[in-house]
Amino acid sequence: MTICRSLMVTCMLGVPQICVGQDFSAGSEAATWNLYAEQPARFEAKVVDILCEITGDCPADCGAGKRQLGLVRSVDNVLVYPNKNNQPVFSGAANELLPFCGQQVEVDGLMINDPDIKGATNIYQLQKVRAVGAVDWVKANKWTKDWQAANPDSTGKEPWFRRDARVNAELAATGYLGLGLDTDAAFIKELFP
Amino acid sequence: MRSKRARLLSSILLAALPFSASAAAEGERVTITGEFIDTWCYFSGVMGGPDATVGSAHHTCAMWCSAGGVPVGLLGEDGQVYMVLKIEADDTSNGGDTQLSLATDTVTADGMLYKRDGLNYIVVSKIISNEGITRMTHADYGVVPDFAIPAPK
Repeated sequence: MTICRSLMVTCMLGVPQICVGQDFSAGSEAATWNLYAEQPARFEAKVVDILCEITGDCPADCGAGKRQLGLVRSVDNVLVYPNKNNQPVFSGAANELLPFCGQQVEVDGLMINDPDIKGATNIYQLQKVRAVGAVDWVKANKWTKDWQAANPDSTGKEPWFRRDARVNAELAATGYLGLGLDTDAAFIKELFP
Repeated sequence: MRSKRARLLSSILLAALPFSASAAAEGERVTITGEFIDTWCYFSGVMGGPDATVGSAHHTCAMWCSAGGVPVGLLGEDGQVYMVLKIEADDTSNGGDTQLSLATDTVTADGMLYKRDGLNYIVVSKIISNEGITRMTHADYGVVPDFAIPAPK
């Protein structure tokens, strides 16, 4: 117990490598994504603009949606990086956290700490968030609504990533493999004989 | 027993202090050569192992994720991932145009490196050179995910 308390103190002093294995699963209701190194993790944190937090370059409103947002965990001051929201559609977590910029929140989701992959440390998949003290959770699934609002002329039943004008312009220029249209055509012929 | 615990704690603190100091330190000027990757697929394994989530096999997915606001990283020749916070004048790390145009490219970049809590962060001041896509992973993995290329109609 003494050692556990000591480790907590070292975490609070900002000693990250000791904190990586900490268990934040208590009370978590996070659904599994069947990821190799996932661990349910529910904790309180402050929502920060990561570029601001790291370098001191701090515009108003966490960059107003332009920048990646992080979670400075209350218990140990560790900067957790939310990489993913809760939609299985190639979408990040910054939009989900932007309404909480600068606020203390409680989050629930999956933590990735994979010692087999360099840098896979304090990576987070956000499933839900609420301001500290709030009763209702907000599901981290607004990204596609944001995309549709920003792309009102894009209609159709296909998912956003098939309809995104910027991505489709890149695909039209260099192909799905990014190696040029001739390479693409030959590969597609092999793929779908 | 008490002194043994004290020695253990002292050892932990002594071993940890230099790392802690560097984690909170100023940025360090660096030149990194590496591939612009989609960090979620690379770190989580959701699409397979690390070798399958880089290069040509994963190019379309890397663009989807970059446009979708998944953080972009530079996978350095040293195997380290450098989380990209800004590229030259463009600080739109949440789905920005610059990072989208560089998806899967291997570049050499000057920038400032920061370390915190086990992650590397880079603010790219200049892309010095761009070799394009260098890992021909489609030869081994096809496309990842396998629906990246729709069947011809």
